[in-house]
Amino acid sequence: MKYETVIGLEVHVELATKSKIFCSCSAHSFGAEPNSHVCPACCGMPGMLPVVNKRVVDYGMKAGMMLNCHINRTTTFDKKSYYYPDLPAAYQTTQWFAPVAVNGTVEIETSGGKKSVRIKQIHMEEDAGKLVHDIREDTTHVDFNRTSVPLIEIVSQPDLSGAEEVEAYLERLKTLLRYAKVAECEMAHGTMRCDVNLSVRPEGSNVLGVRTEMKNMNSIEAIKRAIEYEVSRHIDAIENGTEVLVQETRRWDDIKGKSYAMRTKETAGDYRYFPDPNVMPIVIDDEWFDSIKATLPELPEVKKARYTGEYGLSDYDADQLTKSIAVCECFEDAYSVCGNAKDAANWMISEVMSLLNVKKMTYDMLDLNGITLGELIVLVSGGKVGRANAKKILAAIFDDPSIVPEEYAKANGFIVSNDTGLIATVVKETVAADPKSVADFKGGKEKALMALFGKCMKQLKGNCDPQVLRKILIDHINGL
Amino acid sequence: MERETLRLLEMLNQLRLTEEQKEKVISFCNNREAALKALDAIDTENVERMVHVMPVLTVVREDIVSQPYTAEELQQGAPETDEGYWCVPKVME
Repeated sequence: MKYETVIGLEVHVELATKSKIFCSCSAHSFGAEPNSHVCPACCGMPGMLPVVNKRVVDYGMKAGMMLNCHINRTTTFDKKSYYYPDLPAAYQTTQWFAPVAVNGTVEIETSGGKKSVRIKQIHMEEDAGKLVHDIREDTTHVDFNRTSVPLIEIVSQPDLSGAEEVEAYLERLKTLLRYAKVAECEMAHGTMRCDVNLSVRPEGSNVLGVRTEMKNMNSIEAIKRAIEYEVSRHIDAIENGTEVLVQETRRWDDIKGKSYAMRTKETAGDYRYFPDPNVMPIVIDDEWFDSIKATLPELPEVKKARYTGEYGLSDYDADQLTKSIAVCECFEDAYSVCGNAKDAANWMISEVMSLLNVKKMTYDMLDLNGITLGELIVLVSGGKVGRANAKKILAAIFDDPSIVPEEYAKANGFIVSNDTGLIATVVKETVAADPKSVADFKGGKEKALMALFGKCMKQLKGNCDPQVLRKILIDHINGL
Repeated sequence: MERETLRLLEMLNQLRLTEEQKEKVISFCNNREAALKALDAIDTENVERMVHVMPVLTVVREDIVSQPYTAEELQQGAPETDEGYWCVPKVME
């Protein structure tokens, strides 16, 4: 019998705010001392009152708009019972009755074609702290630094049918949320985590099979392996009776390549959600709604069409540039100054991206001022600075954004000299010192000229218009 | 209230009640159930949903970091701490 897989995802995304969702503790404590970013509110102490971080609502709304959701103009927070010490209030403050965004769609494309994945809801909530089990045998150690860091949970409908679609969906989510600048979405950093709800059923059936959930998956490759394993386990259980499938939460062990039962799945009723009386309802008026809508970015595919159409760039160049909103913005700023899209694209793709690779930075980590890059491109295209020296200036700008390219070029002797007398002297000396290359060139070897050209350029420290140097060099050799 | 419902509530609230306590809780809840059912008789057809008991909406703050407390201050009442961590009974075997 043929089976089909039915998958729904719950994706937790850490929002890129400065402070936590209900208190003003820093939301960024990676590598910090334990409990160095905590206060009575996020430690769940009696009498504390949570106050909502407005930017969390901004970002929740913006994420909802990016995913074509309806925004609930009155959105409320609820308590979800939770008995683990990493949330010391014994409940998680989350949204159940009126989440910030509902009923959206995300368009994905795979080898099977295009597909629309329905979004059930996006809700805002607090993260839990960290439990450390291996410091001592007799106790568990608790670090509340991550407690109350703001998350959105994006809940899809069970519209995905395999690992390829799951990967396409997650990649699309990452792109949209990064373009909107609401989240880093880096699974390796834990800023994007995924619960996979999966069942299988005979092909064509409209009855869902027994669903299992794998929690806190943090790499796309692991998710793909876990899906393959779970599908095979479910089919084996159905066809061969190897085990009785039950609705449960499972843990994926990526090293062993197996999933293990953690606990039988709670139902919504078990969480005993109830409205949080400490957090007032949030009413989003038209002014607030419109102010967020006005900040929505141009989507990657729209940008790409503009780059190829309006700017005349190749598909390849447009693909490279639109991989990251940070790269797009830098490119567009550089273009606004230099006025040559192809030049700006070449600098971005060949030089800026190479620098990012050397520095082991992702495209999204790019923090280069595009205006400054544009000024540098103008210096090169105007013949004021040679390309080799321009690369040195770019490397300097990367490390120190306060650098002004022209000033830096002057201070370091990178301005191209128009002193034809100096060029002629250097050419004369270089040619005299390398009679073999001169003879080779006269014998028809074009490469020999390049060797002489390179030596001259080195003597001139790159500060020479290549066309001028080439002409003086050829004229001098021909005159010998 | 059925005994099975109470068993589920015990499990969810991580409680272990004695037989005497169970009888007391069941009796208490059954008495209240009748009172709660009386509410069903009220017609709420055209009544706007109440989202909160307080007449206050949209209490938000700006995204500004401040850190007025130290771990030492907050851990003064903790039964046990270790290297900046709170210590709790082992939750994983």
